[in-house]
Formats: sequence, structure tokens, C-alpha cells
Amino acid sequence: MSVALLDEFGVGDARERDESWRYSKTALRALAQQEFAEADPHAVLDAWLIARFDWPQTSGRRLVFVNGNYSDTHSDIGSVAACVQVRREGGKRLVLTVTGDSAEPLHMVYASIPGAVPTRWQAEADLELLAGRATVIVQHIGAAGADVLGALHSRIAIGPDAGLQLTTLSDLPDSASHYRRVNTTVAQGGTCRFTDAIFGGRLQRADLNIDLSGQGARLESRGVFVLRGRQHADTHLDIRHTARDTTCDVLWRGVADQRARGVFHGAITVAPGADGADARLSNKNLLLSAQAEIDTQPVLEIYADEVKAAHGATVGQLDETALFYLRSRGVPAATARSLLITGFCREALAGVADVNVRERLDALLAERLPDSGVSA
Amino acid sequence: MLKIDNLHVRVAGKEILKGLTLDVAAGEVHAIMGPNGAGKSTLGNVLAGREGYEITQGSISYNGRDLLELEPEQRAAEGVFLAFQYPVEIPGVNNTYFLKAAMNAQRKHRGETELDSMQFLKLVREKLRVLHISDDLMNRAVNAGFSGGEKKRNEIFQMALLEPKLAVLDETDSGLDIDAMKMVADGVNAMRSPERAFVVITHYQRLLDYIVPDFVHVLVDGRIVESGDKSLALKLEEHGYAWIAERRLAGAA
Repeated sequence: MSVALLDEFGVGDARERDESWRYSKTALRALAQQEFAEADPHAVLDAWLIARFDWPQTSGRRLVFVNGNYSDTHSDIGSVAACVQVRREGGKRLVLTVTGDSAEPLHMVYASIPGAVPTRWQAEADLELLAGRATVIVQHIGAAGADVLGALHSRIAIGPDAGLQLTTLSDLPDSASHYRRVNTTVAQGGTCRFTDAIFGGRLQRADLNIDLSGQGARLESRGVFVLRGRQHADTHLDIRHTARDTTCDVLWRGVADQRARGVFHGAITVAPGADGADARLSNKNLLLSAQAEIDTQPVLEIYADEVKAAHGATVGQLDETALFYLRSRGVPAATARSLLITGFCREALAGVADVNVRERLDALLAERLPDSGVSA
Repeated sequence: MLKIDNLHVRVAGKEILKGLTLDVAAGEVHAIMGPNGAGKSTLGNVLAGREGYEITQGSISYNGRDLLELEPEQRAAEGVFLAFQYPVEIPGVNNTYFLKAAMNAQRKHRGETELDSMQFLKLVREKLRVLHISDDLMNRAVNAGFSGGEKKRNEIFQMALLEPKLAVLDETDSGLDIDAMKMVADGVNAMRSPERAFVVITHYQRLLDYIVPDFVHVLVDGRIVESGDKSLALKLEEHGYAWIAERRLAGAA
């Protein structure tokens, strides 16, 4: 186990590490054997990469980090609502404080730009939502080239009766690896809706820890990963119900083609005293080749009373009957496959409220699917 | 239009069709009746091109072409349509999107211009109106969460939209109440024309009160053992399939 690297990622004690990295050991070890120099905080972004995040819908509310470092050149926070405070501590730590309803989304972009040799970066971003509703979009992108290893640590605190919609779009080239940890607490009556869309990457590991610590706190987690080639994504959800009448609803989808590897670990713990909790988790996965692998582990531990809980996880192949049904109506085989795979993923992404983000997700899905060429 | 000659089909190593012969001309409605396990659904699936069916003998020609050479989507574009006995639920795939993709792929195959969204929706509304189907069907995922009746209606709606030359209805009446069955029959009757043929696979005679066939065939143990006009269906209803078996035994003796 690559302790030095994990120490820097800030991942728990030795035993926890061993268990939680069991499906990604090899990928991690390969990374740990490489030398990484500090990434260039002033690396130049190509126009095509800028075009990937330069959305008219979020102009004036965008924070861009190049190799983890805040970029004055690409950021524009001129239109950020009065109820949102942006505080930077050094180049790599960001604190957002939201104190009221902020109707327009805040757009955060982390770009991994390779150097001449393998490089790495780290950053921190904290979000406090004291009151009201907020929408945040976090985008992870990168340019292909020498390896880049990025690590982003976030803390999110959702205050009483506040509501956060956080959508993460991670679309990385095969030379980029990523460690992402988000520790979230949700206070009494608070709600959060997290959507994660994960594409590509050499190794993308996400540790999403959510503590439903206030009475009536609610979490909705939606996510999808779509992988091909030798891409590897490993997502760990650790949801803790520690107060009464808390709710979590988790629905994730995974697709792996060629020699790709996907891991989903969904742990839900209902702590003693967290009576009346309602927890549901569904994880379905699609293997598109004999060499692809997906490991899914739903874990449910209940130590409280009057708890409603349901969980299910499957790994399967494309439904041949559905494929025949579409083809029997005249849809060519390749398009039929695309339609089915897209539909499978869309089930997890349908609830994204922001139309702009939903459309971009759809486009990304069409672009990144193993069988592209959907046309209708 | 359709000539099936001495067709032998194996499924998972077991012979299901054992020398089926059937001629269907344009403009005709043929009913195929038979007990469970006779091979009725196998016939429908083989015509539509489903995988897993091994043709060991015989041939199927469709408008002079070898149908068995064609992929399912090519058959569809050439005008073959199968209304499924169990329409498939496809969550996440929108009905409108799917049908527009299907229709335009067929048109492209035939060298016709593809329909834009406006033209397509206009056509959809026309067909929905004729069939008295609510348009919220179009905003839902394909068959997802549909009741049995809604799924069968959706099959008939798709048939009306895609306007096939040869429509095969595989037990479309099963599980339907009398109103839904009438709707299915109305949909078929509205489409009857000298250029179009129907093969109606059914277990019961009841549907044939509404879709009056030109020919009735009885399929038993992989072969057509009796053919006649619509009165054959009534006799079957009266005497049951055992009657056919007895007659065959008597004939053989």
C-alpha cells in the first residue's frame, strides 16, 4: 500500500486504507512509484479547454483554478450575489460563505494542465451554507500529456433548513488522476442534492462522506461513471445518519467498456438514536466488454429503531431483448446500443434542475459513450 | 409478399418449428392459432430477426428477397413490423426520441428525406388522435411503468406511425380487456389496405370477431395442420385444440 501518497490524501488509518483501497491498489501503487514535480500554477490553458468551461450562463460567477491554484486570468466573480462571500486563503484554499438565497449557480473549475514531467497539485475548498438555497457546479477538466495528479479536499456545512444543489462534472484525460474528498455535514432540516458525473481518468478516486447530523436532514445522491480504455474510477460514499428522521436516497449508475475498471462502495450507517431514518440505495452497472470490471459493495449498518432501509446493487450486460426491440423498429444496432446506454445513465441524471447543466451533461454523455453516434 | 417454405427452427437445441409453410399475399389478413408451445411466438421472432433462433431448413422470402439475410433493422426498413407479445420496458429512453430515431433510420434506409421535429410531431399527433391515445404517452420512457394495456396500445401506435407492409401481431390481445382489444382491432382495421398484409397470432378466437381474417391457420407442434377461412376459428373455439389432434389421428389412421 502506498502509504505516503495516502497520507497526503489524508485517508484514515492503515486498516481502513487497506479495505477501502482493495479494488484500486494496483492503480494506486503504479502512481506511487512515479516521481511527481509540483505542477505549474501559472500553466497556460489552450482555447479548446477554456471553451469547455466558458459558459455564458455562468459568466461573472466563475472561479477557475489552474493546477489547484486560483487563476485571476480566468476567474470572474463580478456578478456573484451579495449573499455569497468568496474568501481566498493563499492561492489554493477557498472559502465560500452563503448567507441567503442565491438563485444563480456558482461555477468552480479545476483544470489539470500537464508539464514536461509528471506533476501534482493539491487544493482545498470549503463551503458554508448558513441559510437559503444555493446551486454550485464543480467542473474537473484537463489536457492530455504527462501525468497530472490532483487532490481536492472539501468541507461542506449545510446549515439549518438550508438547501444545496451540488453538481460535479469530472471529465479527465487518460493521463490525469484525481483524488477528491468531500466531507459534508447537514444540520437540522437541511437538504443536499449531490450529482456526480465521472468520465475518464487514469485513476479517479472520490471519498464522499456525508453526516446527516441534524434532525430531518436529507441527502439525495445521484451519480454515474462512464469508463473505457484502461480508465479507473473508484467512488466511496459514506453516509451517516446520526440524528432522528434523516433521509438518504442514493442512485448511482456505472458503465465500463474495454479494459476499464469501476468501483462503487456505498456505505450507509444509521447510528444509535437516529430513529426514524429512511435510507435507500440503488446501484446498477453495465459491463460492455468481457475485460471490463465493476465492483460494487452496498453496505448497510443499522443501530437504531423504526428505520426504513432498502439497498440493491447489480452488475449486468446490455439487455439483448431491449436491443432487439429497438432494432425491430428500424434503429441500427450501434444507435440502439447508444440509446440504451444513454438511457441507463440518464436515470441517474434526470433530476438535475439546472437546464444548462443538464444539457451539458447529456452532450458529455453522448460524447463519452463507448458507442458514439446517437442521432435522431 | 411473404413465402415461408418448409421452415425448421431450433431454439436452444430444441426443434420448435418443424416444416412450417405459409403464403401471405398483400392485402390479406392471416390468423395463426394454436395451443401454448406450438411455436407461434417463434414464428413472429424469426420473421423479425431475433437472435438465438437457428434456421436448420427451409426459407423465407419477402417481396422476392431472402428475409433471413437481413438484419432486424433492415427488415423494419423494408416494412416488417412485429408487435411484441411482451413489449420491453426501456427506462431512460424517451418514447418520442426513440420513435423519431426509428422512423428516420427507416426513411434513410429507403432513400427518403428524414423528418424534422415539427413534421414528426405533426404525424405523431395525427396518429394519436386516430387511435384515441393521450399524448402523454410520448413524454414517457418507452413502456416504463406502462400497464399491460398501455404497452399493447403503444405497440399499435408504433405500427400506425411506422406504416409497415407486413405487420405481425404476436398475441397482442393477451391480457387485454374488451375495450383495449377493440382499440387494437380498430387500429388494425384502419390500416388494412390492398398493399398491406397482417399475420395475427392469437390464442383465442375472440380477437378475430373484431379483426376478421381472410385465412385461419392452426399451428400445432411446429407445423400448420389445418387451414381454412374464419369459420375454422369458430370451430376451434367450440371444440378446442384437442379436436384438431383427434382429427389428425383419425386422418393418420
